[in-house]
Amino acid sequence: MHSRQRHWGRVIVVVLSLLAATTGVVAAADATADTTLSYATIEPDRIKLGDTAGIRVTTLYGHLTSVSLPTVPGLEFEITGRTEGLEFIAGKSVPASFILIRVTPKFVGVFTIPGLIPGAKPLGLEVVNGNEPNPYAFHNPGVPQPKPVAPAPIPKGIVLKAGGAAFVQLLIPKHAIYVGESMPIDIEVGIRPGIVTSLNGPPTLSSSDFTLNDLSKQPIRREQVIEGSPFEILTWHTVLAAVKPGEFSLAVEAPLSVRDARSTQDSAIAARLGWPFSQIIYNNLTPKDVKVPSPASELTVLPLPPGGPKEFSGAVGDFQVTSDISPASAAVGEPQTLRLHISGAGNFDRVNATMVDHLDHWKTYPVKSAFTPRNAVGYSGEKVFEQPLIAELAGEQSIPALEFSYFNPNTQRYERVDTQPINVTIAASPDAVARSLDTKGLRPDHPQTRAEMDELRPLYFREQFLAVSSVLALLLAGSWFGVRRRGAMGGVSKATERVLRQLDAAARAGESASFFEIAQHALLEAFARRWRIAPDKVTSVELQARLGSTGEEIERLFALADETRYSGYEMAAADFQSWMVLIRSQLTRVDN
Amino acid sequence: MLLMVGCAVAQPTRYSADGLYNQGNSYARAGKPGLAVLSYERAALLAPDDGDIRANLEYIRASAHVPIEPSGRFARIAGAVRPTLAAWLGVVGMALIGTGLVATKGGLWIRWIRAGGIVAGAALVALAISNAMLLWTRMHEAVVVINNTPARVSPVPMGDTAFVLPEAETVSITAAYGDFVLIRTRDGHSGWVARANVSAVMPRS
Repeated sequence: MHSRQRHWGRVIVVVLSLLAATTGVVAAADATADTTLSYATIEPDRIKLGDTAGIRVTTLYGHLTSVSLPTVPGLEFEITGRTEGLEFIAGKSVPASFILIRVTPKFVGVFTIPGLIPGAKPLGLEVVNGNEPNPYAFHNPGVPQPKPVAPAPIPKGIVLKAGGAAFVQLLIPKHAIYVGESMPIDIEVGIRPGIVTSLNGPPTLSSSDFTLNDLSKQPIRREQVIEGSPFEILTWHTVLAAVKPGEFSLAVEAPLSVRDARSTQDSAIAARLGWPFSQIIYNNLTPKDVKVPSPASELTVLPLPPGGPKEFSGAVGDFQVTSDISPASAAVGEPQTLRLHISGAGNFDRVNATMVDHLDHWKTYPVKSAFTPRNAVGYSGEKVFEQPLIAELAGEQSIPALEFSYFNPNTQRYERVDTQPINVTIAASPDAVARSLDTKGLRPDHPQTRAEMDELRPLYFREQFLAVSSVLALLLAGSWFGVRRRGAMGGVSKATERVLRQLDAAARAGESASFFEIAQHALLEAFARRWRIAPDKVTSVELQARLGSTGEEIERLFALADETRYSGYEMAAADFQSWMVLIRSQLTRVDN
Repeated sequence: MLLMVGCAVAQPTRYSADGLYNQGNSYARAGKPGLAVLSYERAALLAPDDGDIRANLEYIRASAHVPIEPSGRFARIAGAVRPTLAAWLGVVGMALIGTGLVATKGGLWIRWIRAGGIVAGAALVALAISNAMLLWTRMHEAVVVINNTPARVSPVPMGDTAFVLPEAETVSITAAYGDFVLIRTRDGHSGWVARANVSAVMPRS
């Protein structure tokens, strides 16, 4: 019974709180409308990593042409649309335009988004890991509930500040260091998401007698439950160095924006409601900028002992030293690089080496150095000094040992390290080799008697020569082709061709008399021309003497010609062809 | 001062065998065997029958410890004639062959002359072609003008060195890429060499 009353009491408190919150928002919107006519809201203000939130920029009684998207590390902004509509304020509808902006987080944390419009207040956004339960979700009996957060005692060294919403802790490994010595330290800032709305900068030292390495890098984030409340703990690993000796009380402080409960009574109610209902109370509060300090740590800074070596440059730590040269061998005039490797842990910003100032028979050049850290804070690593050298003399050369002095806080004394001397073999320069060329056997210079040429390229490969020779080759090839074609056609003259056409016509017409008369006349003319005698001198004896058996055939042809002329002999078509072969061969031979 | 290294070799605007020969002597006396060999090689293009050029070329190569490859009989015959003369003799040979082929008429003695002309023309054309082939290989040759020039496996400055070329060695250029040329040595090794380290025997006109 008692628990039932308590339950209804809680419900009433929640309902009243919701009404108060709604009234507050409306009142705030009304006030904003009266003054600036524009305001921005974010919904939701706590999301899981991988989800997005939406910012709505509302302008009453008008239009806002554009908003400048802010730059917040870890958040991406994108305008997704513009709409117009009505906004209900205190029961009245007011014409309004809206600009919708999508916010996509890149990692978990509490972010402060600066005002998107002049005079607007910054917006808060908390991004949590995806595997966390949604704090705004009402519990569903059908869904397995996460285990309740077990109250845990406050860890040693943590002092909650800002109404229990934040703490800052400085973790130092030892309480006595030397001047100039670098000491790796951790700075932890714990914040309650939702109550601490933003971290307004990196933590700073309360004393100017120490220096801290750069804290601009993102801190390491983890979560821890402290006194039943979830805290997001940001850890910076950095290096502390003391500037002067003495006894110091050292602390760090972190600038935060915190929604501060107005009274201890409010805080008590919030604590009684528990997460997430306590958030409702805090959501109505305006964040305040506060600096949360850490508890002070006592630190003794010891002076370096007197009597340090003259090469001591202020390096404090534990170092190892080696050296090398590359390339290992070279010729006179060729550059080589001498390297000094200093590795270990300590204040590398004070590690310095002059290398080689002067070396006989060598040209020396200024030293350059590069540091390669082995951890994020740069407390340990390797610093390499490089010095270019150029040998001026051939032969075996020795580069002396390099020295490095530092103060070792572990042994509490100065230490000096020498590298091993380096022997290098320097060859004679190529130029020197060339100059030793024996030129006694050279034949003497020539007087300038031969003609000069514009071009060294041989005539073969010049365009003009190639053109001339190509044209000549084409002409000769064309002529040869023409001659060959004429030979292929029989090589007969036009007169012979005309006679052969007449014979063909007579043979086709079967006119034996005409055929033999033309043939006899043409052959007599041809033989007379060939043998350079008169046509009437072409006798049977001459034919047989000059043509042999062919002469007998010709004589028979002549006899048939006479017979046809006087007796009307008619020859068969096949005989015409055989006589044509004989006549053609004789006439063609004459032409050739 | 005319003596420079790499591709910055001073190029005369007009070439003469005597000028190039004297230039080679100057480079040799100044201790630049690469540039001396380059000048002698160019002089030998214009006057292949000049004994002084050939003698000084072999002498400098021997002094610089660069291997000398003995030339074959074919190369000696083909290279004995000056390229310009050989080119015009080739044209004459072509004319003789053409005339012999075209002139088909005539008596017996004309036929003998015709046959002799064709044979002589063919010989002249063969001489010209041989001379041109010899010069064609010379057109793609280059002389290493920097001592201990690295020949790399790839045409990049950080490429691994395959072998090292001595100054005054004559190589053949087979390809080019960026600031590198692919060279082949007389013993068949190939590698990429910086353009500035070699100079072509036949300069670009």
